[in-house]
Amino acid sequence: MFEESKVAFFLAKRSIVRGNKGTLYLTILIIGMVFVNLIFLPSIISGVAVLFNQQTIDYSYGNLVIEPKENQVYIKSADELQRKIERIPGVTGVSPQYVSGTTIVYKGNEVTPLLYAINPDDDRRVLKIATKVASGEYLADGDTDQIVIGYRLAGNYDERQDVIPSLGGVDVGKVVEVTYNNGVTRQYRIKGIINSDSYDVDSNAFITKNEYESVYGFENQANQMLVRTEETGNEDAMRTTLMAFGVQEKIWTWEEKSANFLNQIIGSFNIINFIGTVVSLVIAIVVIFIVIFINTVYRRKQIGILKAIGIDRSIIIRSYLFQALFIFALGTVIGFGFLAVILQLLAANPIVFPGGPVAPVVDAMLIFRSMVSLLVVSLIAGYVPAWLTTREDILTAIRG
Amino acid sequence: MIIGTDLKRYYGLGAVQVRALDGVSLKIQKGEFVGVMGPSGSGKSTLLHMLGLLDRPTSGSLLIDGVDVGALDEQARTVFRLRRLGYVFQDYALVPELTARENVYLPSMARGMTPQECTLVCTDILGVVGLGDRIHHLPSQMSGGEQQRVAIARALVNRPALLLADEPCANLDTRNSKVILDLFRKLNHDLHQTIVMVSHEEWHKQYFDRIISMKDGLIETDIQGGPEGASGGEPSG
Ligand SMILES: Nc1ncnc2c1ncn2[C@@H]1O[C@H](COP(=O)(O)OP(=O)(O)O)[C@@H](O)[C@H]1O
Ligand SMILES: [Mg+2]
Repeated sequence: MFEESKVAFFLAKRSIVRGNKGTLYLTILIIGMVFVNLIFLPSIISGVAVLFNQQTIDYSYGNLVIEPKENQVYIKSADELQRKIERIPGVTGVSPQYVSGTTIVYKGNEVTPLLYAINPDDDRRVLKIATKVASGEYLADGDTDQIVIGYRLAGNYDERQDVIPSLGGVDVGKVVEVTYNNGVTRQYRIKGIINSDSYDVDSNAFITKNEYESVYGFENQANQMLVRTEETGNEDAMRTTLMAFGVQEKIWTWEEKSANFLNQIIGSFNIINFIGTVVSLVIAIVVIFIVIFINTVYRRKQIGILKAIGIDRSIIIRSYLFQALFIFALGTVIGFGFLAVILQLLAANPIVFPGGPVAPVVDAMLIFRSMVSLLVVSLIAGYVPAWLTTREDILTAIRG
Repeated sequence: MIIGTDLKRYYGLGAVQVRALDGVSLKIQKGEFVGVMGPSGSGKSTLLHMLGLLDRPTSGSLLIDGVDVGALDEQARTVFRLRRLGYVFQDYALVPELTARENVYLPSMARGMTPQECTLVCTDILGVVGLGDRIHHLPSQMSGGEQQRVAIARALVNRPALLLADEPCANLDTRNSKVILDLFRKLNHDLHQTIVMVSHEEWHKQYFDRIISMKDGLIETDIQGGPEGASGGEPSG
C-alpha cells in the first residue's frame, strides 16, 4: 500500500515537473477561480442576511415584540407593563406603540399608510429610526400637532419616480390632513422626513402616542411593545426571562415576526447559490477531467510501457490521483490568495445594499465545505480518466 | 526454465483469421542464450509477447520458472513481470519523463527496495551496461544505443529469471548492435542470465547458443550450437 503510493507519488512528481507547465498553471488557475466562486457568492449572501437581520432589529421590531393576550386587541395597563419589563436585567429599552391604518391627504394626493404612534424617547431606546431623519426633525415627547413620514410616502413632484402611492413631494413644514378610522380628521405639520433604507419604515407615518390616545380617547394602552435587549442572539432565553418575571402577554422574537419575509429572501438566495455552486463544481470536474484525460491519452504508450515492465494499474491510477490532488491543493491556495485580495478590495469599496454596506461573511464551515466538495470533485475527475485509459491492453497501448 | 506446450495465438475470426502462432512447443533451460529467428510475420514477436506475459495465448499452456502463468490473474501477471521478467523492446520504450537513472530506478522502487538499495543496484547495473556518466539525461537527450542500454539496465535491475528482447538492435547501427550483443553475451556468460532474443540479422547468429527458426507461426528448426558452431562472419552492410 505504502510502497505503491511511493511509486505513484514518484511518477506523479516527475509528470508534473517534466510535463506541460502551461496547461498545469492554467488548470490550477481555473481551480483557484472555482474555489473563489464557491466561497464568494455564499459569503455575500450571508452578509446580506446579516444586514437584513440587523435592519429588522434596528428598524422594525427590536429584539422582542410583545402583543396583547389572546382575544384582546390592546395591551392593558401598558405603562405598568412597560416599567416592569424595563426593570428586567438585560433589557435596554421598551417602546409601547399603536399601529393602525390611516388616510393622509395633501393637495389632492391621498395615501393610506400604516401610522405608528410612539413615545419618541422610548422609541429611541429601541429603534434607530430617529437617527435616519433626512430633513427636519424627529418627533419629541410633547408633540401633538406634528407628524413624521417616510420619504417614499412623501414622494416626488414627478410621480413617475415614486415607488409607492405618495403625497406628491411634500416638504417639511407643510400641513397634511390625517383621517383616522374612527372618522376623526386632524391637521398636522410635517416635522421630519425619514430615509432609513428600510422599505417599510420609509413607507410609514409616525405621530406621538399621546396624540393618538387623544384622538381615540384611549389611555394607558398599546397594540404592541418592542423590547430591546443588550445582546442579540439570545432572544429565546430573554423571552423565558420575561415570562418568569410575570409577563403574560404574547412574546415574539424578531425572527418569528419576520420569518416569512426573510425566509423568502434567503430561500431565493439559496437557490441562486445552489446553482452557482453546482455550475462551479461542474466546471471544476470538466476541467480536471479533460486535463487528466488528455494527459493519459497523450501518455497512452507510456502507460502501456509501465504496465509492461510490471507497474500495477492501480499505481498508475494513483499517480494521476496525486496529480489531481496537486492541482486541487495549489488551486485552493491560489483561490485563498484571490479571495484575500477580493475581500481587501471589498473592505475598501463595500457593496452597498439598501440598508447599508454588506460585509461578506466567510466562515470556517463554508471554507471547509467548499474544500471538501472541490477535493471530491478533483478525485473523481482524476480517477475516471485514469481508470479508462489504463484499462487498455498492453500491446495496443504500446503500439500507440 | 520455460516449458511451452502447443501455444496458439489467433487474431480475428473466420475467413480473416490470422494464425500468428499455430501450435508452438518449446523448452528452454536456465542459462541458455536463445535466438529466435525467421522472416517478418513468422510469429517471433507474438511468441515473445507470450513469454513476456504481455499477451495471453488463445490456447496452450506455459510454465515459466515453475509457474503456470496462464493461471495467474492480471495483477499477479504484473507482479510476475516486475519480479521475474525483463523485457527489452525494439524501440527502447523508456519513460520519456524520467532520466536514465529514474527509468532504471522505477522497477526496483516498485519492487519495494529501500532508496539506498535502489541507488546501489541502479548504479551497479548502469555500470554493467556502460552508462556511468550519462545517467541524469532524459531519453530524448540520448542516442539510440544509449537508450537501449538504459532499457536493458531497466530490464535487469530486478535480477530477472528471464531476459526477453525483441529485435533490440533493429534501430541501431552495427557498432551499437555489437555493443548490445556483446553485453548480452557477457550477461549470459558471467551471470548465467537466461536470454531469449528475437532477431532477423544473420550475423547475430554467432552470439546465440541455440537458434529457433520460425515460419508461419511454427517452429521450423531448433538448432543447438554456439558462437563456435555458427557460421558467423562479419556483418554485411
Ligand atoms: N494485433 C494483431 N492483429 C492481427 N494480426 C496480428 C496482430 N499482431 C500480429 N499479427 C499478425 O500475426 C503475424 C505474426 O506477427 P509477429 O509475431 O509480429 O511477426 P514477427 O515478429 O515474426 O515479424 C503477422 O502475420 C501479423 O500480421
Ligand atoms: Mg516482430
